[in-house]
Amino acid sequence: MKKSQNFLRIALMTGMIMLALFGCGRKEGTEGGGKSGYVYVPEYVQIDIECDHIYDAVAAGDNLFLSGVSWNDDTGENKNYLYKYNMIDKQIQEISIDLDTDSSISSMTVAPDGKLMILINRYTYEQDEEGNVTNAESAIELWDVSPEDGSVGEKKDITKLAGDSEYAYIQYFCVDGQGNIYVSDGDNGIHVVKQDLSPVCDIKLDNWIQGMIPSKEGDIYISSYGENGLELRPVDLNGKKLGEAVEGMAGGYGNTQYYTGVSQSLVTNSSDQVSLFDLSSGTSEPLFKWLDADIDGNEVSEMGELSDGRIWAIVRNNSESASTGGNTYEVVFLTRTEASKVEAKKEILLGTMWLDSNLKKGIIDFNKTNGQYRITVKEYGGGDDYMEGLNQFNADLTTANCPDMISLSNIDFEQYASKGILEDLYPYMEKSGFKKEDYLENILKAYESDGRLCGILPQFYISTTMAKASLVGDKTGWTLSEMLDFVEENEPENIFSDGTRSSIFYYCIYNNIDEFIDWQNGKCFFDGEDFIRTLEFAANFPEEYDYSREGEGISSKIRSNKLLLMQSTISSVQEYQMMNGMFGEKIAFVGYPNSERKGNLIQATGGCIGLSAKSKNKDGAWEFMQRLLSDEYQDSLVSEHGSWGFPVKKSALEKQFEIDMTPDFYEDEEGNKIESPKTTWGWDDFEMEIMAATQEEIDAVKEIIASADKLSGNVGVNEQLTSIITEESEPFFKGQKSAADVAGIIQNRIQIYVNENR
Amino acid sequence: MHFPGRKKIKSDSEQTKKQKGIRKKSDTSPRTRRGRRISAGYLFPSALGVMLFFVLPFFIVIYYSMVDNPISHQFVFLDNFVMVFQNAAFRQAAANTLTFSAAAVPLAVVLSLLLAMLLESKIPFKSQFRTFFLSPMMVPIASVVLIWQVLFHYNGMMNEIRVLFGADKVDWLNSSYAQAVIVMLFLWKNLGYNMILFMSALSSIPKDILEVAVLESATPFQIFWHIKLRYMSSTILFVTIMSLINSFKVFREIYLLKGDYPYDTMYMLQHFMNNTFGRLDYQKMSAAAILMAIVMVIIIGILFLTESYFGKDVEG
Repeated sequence: MKKSQNFLRIALMTGMIMLALFGCGRKEGTEGGGKSGYVYVPEYVQIDIECDHIYDAVAAGDNLFLSGVSWNDDTGENKNYLYKYNMIDKQIQEISIDLDTDSSISSMTVAPDGKLMILINRYTYEQDEEGNVTNAESAIELWDVSPEDGSVGEKKDITKLAGDSEYAYIQYFCVDGQGNIYVSDGDNGIHVVKQDLSPVCDIKLDNWIQGMIPSKEGDIYISSYGENGLELRPVDLNGKKLGEAVEGMAGGYGNTQYYTGVSQSLVTNSSDQVSLFDLSSGTSEPLFKWLDADIDGNEVSEMGELSDGRIWAIVRNNSESASTGGNTYEVVFLTRTEASKVEAKKEILLGTMWLDSNLKKGIIDFNKTNGQYRITVKEYGGGDDYMEGLNQFNADLTTANCPDMISLSNIDFEQYASKGILEDLYPYMEKSGFKKEDYLENILKAYESDGRLCGILPQFYISTTMAKASLVGDKTGWTLSEMLDFVEENEPENIFSDGTRSSIFYYCIYNNIDEFIDWQNGKCFFDGEDFIRTLEFAANFPEEYDYSREGEGISSKIRSNKLLLMQSTISSVQEYQMMNGMFGEKIAFVGYPNSERKGNLIQATGGCIGLSAKSKNKDGAWEFMQRLLSDEYQDSLVSEHGSWGFPVKKSALEKQFEIDMTPDFYEDEEGNKIESPKTTWGWDDFEMEIMAATQEEIDAVKEIIASADKLSGNVGVNEQLTSIITEESEPFFKGQKSAADVAGIIQNRIQIYVNENR
Repeated sequence: MHFPGRKKIKSDSEQTKKQKGIRKKSDTSPRTRRGRRISAGYLFPSALGVMLFFVLPFFIVIYYSMVDNPISHQFVFLDNFVMVFQNAAFRQAAANTLTFSAAAVPLAVVLSLLLAMLLESKIPFKSQFRTFFLSPMMVPIASVVLIWQVLFHYNGMMNEIRVLFGADKVDWLNSSYAQAVIVMLFLWKNLGYNMILFMSALSSIPKDILEVAVLESATPFQIFWHIKLRYMSSTILFVTIMSLINSFKVFREIYLLKGDYPYDTMYMLQHFMNNTFGRLDYQKMSAAAILMAIVMVIIIGILFLTESYFGKDVEG
C-alpha cells in the first residue's frame, strides 16, 4: 500500500514537471484583448498632395510642414511644393513659394521662437549651342517662414557658408536652443553662425556625418559611424569640437535615424523599432515596432513626437502606383493605448530567418484588413551569429513555440519536409478552389517533397548562365564535364571575366550538388576527375574580386569573346531583351552544369511560405497564404516594366506578357503614330532602349521558364559542405598540396556528412 | 604475501538487531515522523532538481528514441536503433570512440600512475615537474587547440622539423595519424590531474604497512602490486571513470580543430549526436545516446567489479 502511494507521488510529481515543461511554449493567445501593457494604435490619414516625393517634414506646434517636388513629364520641369498640415483639424494647405525648376527646398527646421526656417538651393547655369552647361553657380538662401500663415519673411544668402559657389551645397542644417544656426556639407566641417549670420565657430570633422539633430534640451548632436557603429556626439561650442560619444545608445551599423523629442531628448528610429532616448541618463525606452503598428518601417520618410505623446510619421505608399512610378503619402498618428482596449485577434506567428520586404507588405495589408487574425513575425537571423539563430529556429520548430507559418526563403526546406514539419498545401489549394493547373506546375514542383507541396511562392525569377550560341551550340543545359571541356578549349580567364574562386564553386559545385552526391546509395564523388578539374579551373581566379580594377565594358568583352559565360537572372521579358541586345547575337541559356542538362534554376522572390504541421491556426495561416495565390495578388505583380520576377499564376503571367508586347507610341509633328521605346535598360557600359517584345521573345522567355524545375543551389546547400570545400581547397590554391590530395580529404570529410544524413 | 587481520571488518550491529528481532521504537514516534517530514522538505529542492534535470530528460530521450520524428511523434519502437546500427556514420563514430577510449584511457591511467610514483620518489626538481604536468589544466581550451594547430598543422612545427631532417610533410589532422594526435592531446591535457589524484592516494597508504613489508623483505614490485595497488584501487577506479568521461569530452578539441565533419578517423560519437541534433533528427540522436549509455554502464560496471575484486581485502 505504502509502495503504491510512493509510486503515485512520484508519478504525480513527474506529471506536474512534464506539464510544466511541455506547457511552457507559445500561448495560443490573442493579440490586444486580454494583454497587459500598452500598444501603439495607428490612425492613417491620407494627405492630398500633388508632389511625387516628400523630401522633408518638420513639426512646429500643431502644424506639420512638408516640402516636396514633382516632375512634370509634359514640361520637363520640377515643381517645388511646401505644405502646412494641421494635425488637429487634419487640413492641408499649400504654401505658395516662388521657386524655378532648378531650385529646391533642401532642408527645413524650426527655430526656438517657433518660426520655420527653410534652406533654398538655387542653381543657375547657361547652355551653349551644343547644349553644354557653362557658368554654373549654386546659391543657398535661408528663408524665414511664418508658421501661422506661411508668409515668407526675411531671406538671407548663406552661400559663403557652403564654400565654392559652383559646387556649394549644405547637407545638414539645424538651429539650437539659443538660435544659433548650424550648417554642414557632411564632410569638411560644421559652421555655426548667429541669426544675423555673424560667425560663432567652425568645427572640423574627422569623418562623414550621418545626421545633425537638435535635442529637446536645445543642444546639437552629430551622428556618425565610429568604432562600434553609429554614435552620437554633442557639438561643444566652447571647445569648438565634438564631445565624447553618448553612452547607452546602441546604434549598430543599421539605418538609425534620430529626431528631436518632446517628452525625452530624442526619438530614434532604427527602421523596425521606435524608441525614446534620454540623454541625461543615457537610457532608451522602446516604444513600438513599426510592424506591430502595421507600418513598413522602410517606408517611413519622416517622423516625430507630439506634445500629447502621440507619434507622427509620414509613410510612403508606392504599392498602388508601382506601374506609374509615383508615390502616395499618409500621415500616421500612433496613440499609446492600453492593450486590453484593443480589439482581440487570433495571433498567427510567422517564423523566418529574415523577413522579405514583399512578405512584410503582404503581412501589413493582411493585418490591416483581417478582422479575425493577426500575423506577428519572429525573425531568427537578426543577431550576430547566423548559426545560433538557425539553431533557435530549429529548436522552436520542435516545441510548443513552433511558428504557424515558416518562411522557406533561403533555407533547406527538404530538411523540414522530411521531418513532417510542413503541411502538404495541395489539399488546401484544392479546398480553396485553386487549381494546380492554373499555376506554373514546374515552379510549384520546385517546392515539392515526395509529391507534397511544401511552400507557396508567389513570384520567382530564373537563375541562369548565358553563352553565345555560336560558341556552345544551341544547348539548354550541359554537364560539368561538358562545361569543363569548353573551359579547356578556351582561355580560362575569359570564361568568367569577373569570377572568383567561390563563384566558380557556386557555379560548378553548389548549384550542381546532385552530380557529386548520390544520396540514394550514400556515396559522394569529390575525389573524381570532374571535381579535380573544377579545382584546377577555380585556381585561375582570384580569391576576392578586385573592385578597384577598371577594364573593358561588359558588352565589349562579350562581343570580343573575353567573356564567354555570364551568370545572371531573367526576371522579366525586358531583362531578356536587354541580354539579347548585350550579346548582339543568339544566346544559349545553358544554365548551371547539371547531370540532367537542366541548368536553369528557380529562385523565389517575394518570399516563400510553408504551413507548420503543428499549427493550431491552420485556417488563419492559410487565409494569409492563399492571398499570395489569389488573382488580386498575382495581378498586382504585373507591371509595365516587369517587376522583380514572374508571377506564378499562368493568367497573371500572360497579362504580363501582353503588357510586354504592347507597344508605346508617340505622335510626330505630322501626327503619325510612331512606336516609342517602352523604357531603357542598362548593364555596366551597355544601355539599350526596350521596344515592345515580339512573340519570338515571349516564346523564348516561356521556354526558359518551362526548362526550370529545381531551386537554386544557394537554397539547399548546407553551409557545412561549403565550409569543408573552402577550408580544404585552400592549400591547393596556395600551392601546398596537389588537387588530388585536397580532393581526397574533401571526399573523406563529406562522405561522413553523406553517411550521417542517410 | 599474507596479512592476517586485514580482513574487512564490518559492523554486525544491523545483522545482530535483525537476528534478535529488535525494532526501533522511534520509527513510528511523532518526533521521528516530524523529523522525516523536515528532512523531506530539505531534500525536496534537490530531489526536484534531480528529477527535472536528470531523470526527466532521461525519460524524454527514451521517448524520442522510439518515435519517428519530433513533430509527428509516431511510435516506431526499436526502428530507430536498427536505423542507427545500420548507419555507416554511427558505426564509424562508435568504432573511433571505442578505439580512442581503449587507447587513451589506459594510457592516461598508467602514465599518470607512473608519473605519480616517479614524483613520490626522491628525484630533484619534483615541484617543477609537478607544475609542468599540471600547467595544461590551466590553459583555456581554445588556446590548447591553437597550440596543437601550430604543432600539427600541415605547415606546423612538427612538419618543419620533419622537413629539416629531409622527411616529407605529413597531414597530421587529415590522415590516419589524426587519432594519434588527439590521443597525445588528451594525455597532455589530463595526465597532470590524474597524477595529482594518484599522488594523493599514494600518500594516504599507511606507512606502517609499507615499513612492515620492507622489514619482511618484500620486493618493490611486491609492495607495489600487493599493497599500493590494492590501497589505490578505488582511486584507480575513479581516475579510470573520469578519464573515460573525459575521453568522450575530447570532442570539444576536435570540434575546435576541424568543425562538425572532421577527417573520418577523428569523427566521434558526440559529432554524430551533435550533428543529428542540429538537423532535428532527435530520434537518431536519442537512439545513439541510449546505445552509448548502455555501453558506458557496462564498462563502468566492469570497472566496479574489477575494483571490488582488487580492493576486497582493503578496508574502505
